[in-house]
Amino acid sequence: MRLRLPSGRTLVLALPFLWLSLFFLAPFLIVAKIALSEAALGIPPYAPVLRWTDEGVLTVVLNLGNLATLFSDPFYFDAYLRSLRVAAISGLLCLVIGYPMAYAIARAPEHRRNLLLMLVVLPFWTSFLLRVMAWIGLLADNGVINNLLLAAGVISQPIQLLYTDFALYAGIVYCYLPFMVLPLYATLSKFDPVLIEAAADLGARPWRAFLTITLPLSLPGIIAGFMLVFIPAVGEFVIPELLGGPGAQLIGRVLWMEFFTNRDWPMAAALAMVLLLLLVIPIAWFQHMQGRASR
Amino acid sequence: MQQANIARPGSAEPWRDPEAEPYVRVINVTKRFGATVAVDDVSLDIYRGELFALLGGSGSGKTTLLRMLAGFERPDSGRIMLDGQDMADVPPYERPVNMMFQSYALFPHMSVEQNIAFGLKMDGLPRSEIRDRVAAMLELVQLKGFEKRRPHELSGGQRQRVALARSLVKQPKLLLLDEPLGALDKNLREQTQFELVTIQEKLGITFIMVTHDQEEAMTMATRLAVMNHGYLAQVGTPAEVYEYPQSRFVAEFLGTANVFEGLIKAEGPTGALIESTEFDAFFQSDTDPPKPEGARVFVAVRPEKMRIRRADVGENAGTNRLVGTVRDIAYYGDFFMFVVALPEGKSIRVSRPNLARLTELPITWDDRVAVEWEPFATVVLPE
Amino acid sequence: MTPAPTARRRCLLGGLAAVLLTLPPLAAAQAQALNVFNWNDYIDPAVVERFTRETGIAVRYDVFDSLETLEAKLLAGRSGYDIVVPTNEPSFSRLIAAGALQPIDRAQVPNWANLDPVLMKQLETSDPGNRHGAIYLWGTIGLAYNVGRVRELAPDAPTDSWRLLFDPTLARRLAPCGIVMMDSQIDVIPSVLRYLGLNVNSTAEADLRRVEQTLMGIRPHIRTFASGGVIELLASGQACLAFTYSGDAIQAADRAREAGRGVDIRYVAPKEGAQLWFDVLAIPRDAPNPNAAHRFINFLLQPDVMAAITNTVHYPNAVPASKPMVEEAIKNDRNVYPTEEDFARFFTVTAVPQAAERARSRLWARFKAGR
Repeated sequence: MRLRLPSGRTLVLALPFLWLSLFFLAPFLIVAKIALSEAALGIPPYAPVLRWTDEGVLTVVLNLGNLATLFSDPFYFDAYLRSLRVAAISGLLCLVIGYPMAYAIARAPEHRRNLLLMLVVLPFWTSFLLRVMAWIGLLADNGVINNLLLAAGVISQPIQLLYTDFALYAGIVYCYLPFMVLPLYATLSKFDPVLIEAAADLGARPWRAFLTITLPLSLPGIIAGFMLVFIPAVGEFVIPELLGGPGAQLIGRVLWMEFFTNRDWPMAAALAMVLLLLLVIPIAWFQHMQGRASR
Repeated sequence: MQQANIARPGSAEPWRDPEAEPYVRVINVTKRFGATVAVDDVSLDIYRGELFALLGGSGSGKTTLLRMLAGFERPDSGRIMLDGQDMADVPPYERPVNMMFQSYALFPHMSVEQNIAFGLKMDGLPRSEIRDRVAAMLELVQLKGFEKRRPHELSGGQRQRVALARSLVKQPKLLLLDEPLGALDKNLREQTQFELVTIQEKLGITFIMVTHDQEEAMTMATRLAVMNHGYLAQVGTPAEVYEYPQSRFVAEFLGTANVFEGLIKAEGPTGALIESTEFDAFFQSDTDPPKPEGARVFVAVRPEKMRIRRADVGENAGTNRLVGTVRDIAYYGDFFMFVVALPEGKSIRVSRPNLARLTELPITWDDRVAVEWEPFATVVLPE
Repeated sequence: MTPAPTARRRCLLGGLAAVLLTLPPLAAAQAQALNVFNWNDYIDPAVVERFTRETGIAVRYDVFDSLETLEAKLLAGRSGYDIVVPTNEPSFSRLIAAGALQPIDRAQVPNWANLDPVLMKQLETSDPGNRHGAIYLWGTIGLAYNVGRVRELAPDAPTDSWRLLFDPTLARRLAPCGIVMMDSQIDVIPSVLRYLGLNVNSTAEADLRRVEQTLMGIRPHIRTFASGGVIELLASGQACLAFTYSGDAIQAADRAREAGRGVDIRYVAPKEGAQLWFDVLAIPRDAPNPNAAHRFINFLLQPDVMAAITNTVHYPNAVPASKPMVEEAIKNDRNVYPTEEDFARFFTVTAVPQAAERARSRLWARFKAGR
């Protein structure tokens, strides 16, 4: 019998699966395994799921306690909820700010578009951490904004900007805005402005034309942009930590606390797993919407 | 001026009636884009029920004029009146004017039905009325059964009809059509030309159509305006403009014309005699010349109005006669086009209907031929 | 001596930056090198150079600025470090319990004899028998305050007591000039327990409830939870009262003096008792180069080396013989080298079980959130 090599087609198809199983499935299973084990003092700081008993029998010891705690303790639920809310508000703010930007770029003269797009992406050329730190310099009690307001005589005492929800949203919106603008631009640049004329011609006032034509047709870009902001913002740790107020116990912070302060790796892993599942739902919805749009 | 006798049956030709009130009035309208003058002091009267064509090449200003009628552009100066109302401050969404776009501009996220209903919805009409009027339109454009389709699920011709239905459903006072047949292939285009005319006559809506296709303009329009570099070169019925071009540009733009140069030799009550400055020949016309004696003019003669025959031995050019050598014969199926080289170096075109099937032509390549025409075929144009 | 670049910040984000910036050393590639993982700005760089010069062992020196970072790395295993410097509680004791540290072979560390037996005795609460580590530097956790501002806002306030911070009426009066809380539950909660006269290692629910009540009472008056930057806030006059490490407070005082804007910062280890901490030289169990690690510990425990380090970072060491070589200003500062009577009021803590740790985390989270 001859050994048949897999055909090129099979290989091409197998490649993404291999990639996904290596870099997504495998890490996920590791996290899942840790989530289902029990915390212990040792290296690593959790008990193995697979254990040999004294009689030489391999046993699986699953600890569902972490997941149970997660769902029974409102502390975690609140943190998830707060994170989802912060991410959703950030996504909406990015949309409100990013949409006019993307629209303006898409309508700008062709030779200027690339420059404008480059300006949107420009912040990525510097370190993320540095950019967040720069906001501290802007918002601190003796920061640029307060000093300017003081100098202008608008205020007599520095107003608290840093470590507030305002700072938190400013940071997230600032950092994630390009992720909103770029997909929106991609959709809006494909949008034929003659459709707006057609709508106007048929009696639609500008605002109505926007709502009935432009907005629905840019929905794929809106969803893509929102997801690109929302998903990372849910687990965002650095920005709330650096800019947000102490009241903002977001899930990223809780996860950090479980992992580092409590050294409860299984709990942290369980938190991460649930976070992932929380994000899979909107992503699946997004895919569904995209499928519908391209049909 | 002699009148062409091929007016559409039933059309009253209101433009000939000095008492008639124009429906659309374009009065001294000028529009500039930066340094270029897109529309240059254009005045135009269009009457109710007309199918008026704006004909011109690209950059002639015809589309800009159409867009000003729709309200997408504002004239820099001049006025546009519709049914007695000044349109200057009326935004597009309030004008009783609809437009069929060259690209159709159908809303891709809406079904055929929704596309057609859009304008009625914007007017806030009751649901039942919208339904009825959309159904009537679908019937008119023969798209029953396609209500739920999306634009990308339709053929080009079907899309064109959706666009037409959408622009007609509001029963506008004026329908603007931007190259309405431009995106269709040739066969469909001819068929659709007649459909459009039929629909227009049935609804009695005034149409203004922009086209670069002279055939389209000639076959469909009640009147047409030839535009060039933003100004109106000539306005008239298709036959008038074709038979009596008033400028070299119009003569050459509409159909084919052989154009010669000459000086007015004599003028009289029965026409003009023009001496060619290019050949040893004279041109006799049966109309009065536009210029006094001695003036330089152009003379245009259409190829189909010329006769071609073998030249007699020793025959030379004379009055309304030129002699040359056949350089080329183009077979178009329904007619032949001869290219005749004159000894002075100029070439003229002469067409001859294909009256018999592939019989031996009496004239062939390199034959010495005489080309003649009657005085009525000589069109004298100012320089 | 140039301004000492000491800062011993248990800063969460600094920790993050350290995780991002310092990759574990490639153990195999650097078999001969010594891999040190220490707090940032916590050594005299000349000392490291001298070690390499004398022994020929190259030193790869990485820094962390939170215990969490250090512990996470060691508990993950194969950190690749030969020398780590955990704080006695909770990290050092917990790393011992997790089996993450190897016993030190005293035969290879003759200078062990230089260590102060009194301090080493204190350390035994974390490491019975002192088998796993030698004290590197030590200090207390107390209050740093701006003398002028506090006198102005609360002239009658007892500046030698935890009441200055934990008494809500005083905190309210001082709030306008800026109160900064250290964002570290492992440091703050035992001090509150002590202030309340309770067992500093208590895990009792009732005790923690009282701690929470105390903290919540002053929560409205706290301007910021500092993740680093306390020195700057104090020295610039943006804060007038801070719960902080002795070294940071001294550092802030130095800087304020240099700025010359009349800001006078003082440190106090409150009379009710201040938590004593020791940063300990220890060797991970899987250290690639334990021999070099032992030699490094032995090298550091020389009196002149330790004196150089103390002179640089302004923290006291545990080698009494170094004291003659320590600069006068540092040596005579009661805040750096406490008197014996001060020392009697200091306390150490032991690690609490994980469940209690979580309860404390929760308490801390609620405190920060203010609800």
